[in-house]
Amino acid sequence: MISTSNRAVVDELALRHLDAAYNLGRWLLGNEQDASDAVHDAYLRAARACDTYAGGNARAWFLAIVRNCCLARLAVRHKEKKNVAIDGNPAAAERAMPQGDDDVGDSLDSEQRRSLVAQYLRGLPDVYREVLVLREIEELSYREIADVLETPIGTVMSRLARGRTLLHKALTDNGPTEPPHGL
Amino acid sequence: MDCKTASDLLPLYFDGELDRATSRGFEAHVDACPACRDALVALDALRQALRHEAPRFDAPGALRARVIASAAGMPTPEARQFRVALRPWMAMAASLLLAFVAGGAALAAWQRASSASAVEAQQTRDLFASHWRALAATSPIDVVSTDQHTVKPWFAGKVATAPVVRDFKAEGYALIGGRIDYVGNDRVPVLVYQHGKHLVDVFILPGGGVASDGSPVQMQGYVLERAMLGGQAVAIVSDMDRAELTRFRDLLDSQVQGD
Repeated sequence: MISTSNRAVVDELALRHLDAAYNLGRWLLGNEQDASDAVHDAYLRAARACDTYAGGNARAWFLAIVRNCCLARLAVRHKEKKNVAIDGNPAAAERAMPQGDDDVGDSLDSEQRRSLVAQYLRGLPDVYREVLVLREIEELSYREIADVLETPIGTVMSRLARGRTLLHKALTDNGPTEPPHGL
Repeated sequence: MDCKTASDLLPLYFDGELDRATSRGFEAHVDACPACRDALVALDALRQALRHEAPRFDAPGALRARVIASAAGMPTPEARQFRVALRPWMAMAASLLLAFVAGGAALAAWQRASSASAVEAQQTRDLFASHWRALAATSPIDVVSTDQHTVKPWFAGKVATAPVVRDFKAEGYALIGGRIDYVGNDRVPVLVYQHGKHLVDVFILPGGGVASDGSPVQMQGYVLERAMLGGQAVAIVSDMDRAELTRFRDLLDSQVQGD
């Protein structure tokens, strides 16, 4: 019977933190389809693993699973990119090229598309982008972020500092009045 | 409080991670220090920009519907009862077994043997992932030092077992620092060496590590090899070529216990 209540807890937890989970997935993977699939995978994994959930911060536990599902997808994506032959296959080459706005911007309205902050955030390496999203947008504490990333708090702090510096530098170097030059 | 201390505490204060007494000390400094105040303002400007301009994506309705549908379609607790009912029984059997064998060693060995290969595969993936993550980070090292007497005490209090730290600079493998990383659920010390242009991670494995047939594992051009360093099981991960790796492993293996 413990299992029944745990499952109910996981279902409730997943639905309550679905926006947070999707937001993380969306920023990591860049598009709606992949982010949705990753979050759905994460829910299935969480539901199967509900017996092993041992208390602690539930949101961090679920987001850690979401993040692992996203990283698995990213790993596959990087592998596919590496293996693609560009010669004589323009379509594949197109897919393998780093994608700018099109990758992410489909459903963004023009105002958000103009936002330099969002654009530079998208341009940051994954490790800095995820920590900034978790801290500044999702407002997780250092401890929760450390649990999600499964890293020491010191690493969270150094990545956060570095990510902020990079983003701040990108914004001040390029000035908010200049038109974006695609990262 | 001086400016150096204050600037170290600044992100902590800004993120609400400082205790109240230290916060008050920090605020007193900021009141008197325009430079620190500006830094705080800059952090806040960045946060406001992020919160207002970087969209928080809400889960699409289709995803919510999918999760709800999956929740309804998952195996019911009745169907799972077989597994669930087994658990208390297994726990009892385990405790009986424990009562009969001296200590828990036999049980641990049995558990290890039953899932050793799965555990080893998982651990191997973890180790490669840690190495790659460290390479991708700004610095693969938390404590930068070429001095083994600096690196070793740094680990004290951060991990359960202090590693044996040796520098092999004379042999061409210079100690450049250490860091803490995760392998499974364990925080483990990692010694970082440099050999030419290659970065070498030596993970001190928890609980003596897992059994292995001793052959190196390769993944995407990186090689993992297990070894012993002063009585502790370690795993070496690097992109060195095979001969250099073997030489390094032999070097580690030749170290005796104690410091």
